[in-house]
Amino acid sequence: MNVNYLLPYSFKRIGWVLLTLGIVLGIVYFGINESPQFLDFPVIAIMRQSLLGEVVFFQIITDNIFNEIIALLLILGAIFMALSKEKKEDEFITKIRLESLLWATYVNYAILILALIFIYELAFFTILIFNIFSVLFFFVLRFNWILYQSKNSLK
Amino acid sequence: MKNTIKVERAKKNITQAKLAELVDVSRQTINAIELGKYNLSTVLALKIAFTFEQPLEAIFSLEESDWET
Repeated sequence: MNVNYLLPYSFKRIGWVLLTLGIVLGIVYFGINESPQFLDFPVIAIMRQSLLGEVVFFQIITDNIFNEIIALLLILGAIFMALSKEKKEDEFITKIRLESLLWATYVNYAILILALIFIYELAFFTILIFNIFSVLFFFVLRFNWILYQSKNSLK
Repeated sequence: MKNTIKVERAKKNITQAKLAELVDVSRQTINAIELGKYNLSTVLALKIAFTFEQPLEAIFSLEESDWET
């Protein structure tokens, strides 16, 4: 019996592409602070609320979907990179994987707690947006660092 | 847990990479086991013992630190 919930190894490469694209577009988005006009689309809003406005349910609105596309690229890219198998996914790799996941969870929430205490208003909102992806980022960095180290100690 | 994998490999003249292939794990895994950095599963231990045609205890043995929690 060998049940695991990891994606095939080939997803790792797709993850790289999506993540890189997401990061590049993300930098562009924050850099120019403008969204291209052609990405104005009618979307179904199950729920929405403008600043100080009322909550509205089920409405079709026009929204620029540039930021949504970037967020999806970042999430899917990071998920594919984090949760696809290694070339040889054995028990030692699985152990590193689980340890890294635990580590990333601690680091992520430590940062979130510090942000809760020390960061306020709109700046905190920015941290929350970063928090959408941060667990996965921390995991990918830590997991690959340990893998790299264990490969390096071979020779 | 101590192990004599390195010695057994030398006796049979097989590399870490070859042993890894024989028991279907990555080379890092064999390396980590030899360096005592990773306590392997029972199944993998049995596979390694089988590969070397030795009883389990001839290759793996407890050490003092295994009894400390």
